[in-house]
Amino acid sequence: MLRVEALTVTARERTLVENLSLDLEDGRITCLIGPSGCGKTSVIKWLAGILPAGLAAAGKLAIDGRDISRPDPAIGYQPQGDALFPWLTIAENAALGLEVAGASRTSARARVAPLFPAFGLAGTEELFPDQLSSGMRQRVAFLRTIVRQSRFILLDEPFSALDAVTRMRMQLWFLARLEAEPRGVLMVTHDLREATEIADRVLVMAAAPGRIVADIPIETPRAARSEAALADLRQSLKSLLLEDFSS
Amino acid sequence: METLRRILPALLIAAAILAAWELYCVRAGVSPLLLPAPSDVARALVANRGEIAGHALSTASVTALGFSVSVAFAFLASVALHFVPPLERGLMPLFVVSQTVPLIALAPLMILWFGFGLLPKTLLVVLVTFFPMLVSLLSGYARAAQDHLDLLASMGAGKVALFRRVYLPSARAAFFAGLRISGTYAIVAAIFAEYAGARRGIGIFILSAKNNFRADLVLAAVVVSSVLTLGLLGVVRLIEWLSDRRRGHHAPR
Repeated sequence: MLRVEALTVTARERTLVENLSLDLEDGRITCLIGPSGCGKTSVIKWLAGILPAGLAAAGKLAIDGRDISRPDPAIGYQPQGDALFPWLTIAENAALGLEVAGASRTSARARVAPLFPAFGLAGTEELFPDQLSSGMRQRVAFLRTIVRQSRFILLDEPFSALDAVTRMRMQLWFLARLEAEPRGVLMVTHDLREATEIADRVLVMAAAPGRIVADIPIETPRAARSEAALADLRQSLKSLLLEDFSS
Repeated sequence: METLRRILPALLIAAAILAAWELYCVRAGVSPLLLPAPSDVARALVANRGEIAGHALSTASVTALGFSVSVAFAFLASVALHFVPPLERGLMPLFVVSQTVPLIALAPLMILWFGFGLLPKTLLVVLVTFFPMLVSLLSGYARAAQDHLDLLASMGAGKVALFRRVYLPSARAAFFAGLRISGTYAIVAAIFAEYAGARRGIGIFILSAKNNFRADLVLAAVVVSSVLTLGLLGVVRLIEWLSDRRRGHHAPR
């Protein structure tokens, strides 16, 4: 269990995130939704240890009750978009995290190689990113994240750049991958449908200052979620997002 | 075929200018001492090829040496400026001022201080070519994508790893652009340095040709200096191409 307690992020005089607490459970998917500018990205970046210079943060982060400093290998981060390096081959991109963590070139390559077929990327090892479709590039980004074996992964709108069909395919594929290799996931999304179909839990943020205003667990197993129940849930999420909390 | 089609307009225009020039010299009866026709220049070039080749070789070696030193120096300076930002604020104005010094003032002083050897000429080539390369490298580093930096930092990469894995590869295209800009000036800088004082070189050859009122030889030297510059740019292109990991891997269009 990863626990954030009383996170406050400030930029000079402005408070971006105020007194925010949240838990991430192992092997479960938590979606973080909220209007733009509510501080979702600040929360993710703070967790990843890459809060931009100029932002100050106070708060506690613990995994299983043990305080951790960041960046920590237990927390993997995947930026919005695939962020593949155009000058590296697909195999080198996939192995990047391992190499940065100190693995030798050959051992990093040896560890990613067997995963290529399961990620639908067999045969792309020596290609370069711009030779791949956007869906495949996204899979490379997931492979790069998953292979680091972080217990928790942070995903900043992982599917937002994909076209509708590719997005649906990738969501299904992503869920299947997580079945095989469970991780505690915190996923920022703008897409209510995506949140209700994928998440085990939805956290709703409000802006100015950023804070969590609702914590909605979805107990129904994904396969058993009926369209009607999802529509109700989306409706209540929508009214939460539209509600004015700035009293 | 494709290449031919691309360079054809340039070739045609060049040929037309040369033809017009030749025609003018013949028809107007200008003295070849004043304005030699292209054919006169070609003849002078061929007749003096041995002597000119020796001078060209000397100029080429000075340029190669100066240019190499300059690339190395620009790269080291860019690394230093990247890692120590206050250095950039402190040194950049100095570098900018160094670009405003007229060569015509500096070249004779260099000869005065360092003699007729390689050193003053190398220094002049460095002075002229260093700055565009440094600026290109720095602007290349600035092109590094925040996404890439964030990703790597979240993986625990330190400053050196960020530089090696993101900033440096991001600056590749800008670096070669800078190399081409500098390369364009390098030969001219070397010739200018030789003009101010040297034992051998295209610059000193131009000086003596001018003093003998041999316009054809001066123009022959101009042709040689163009060829040398094009040769240098060709070498830069070749290095860029050879060092491209993506050779033959570009996305199908």
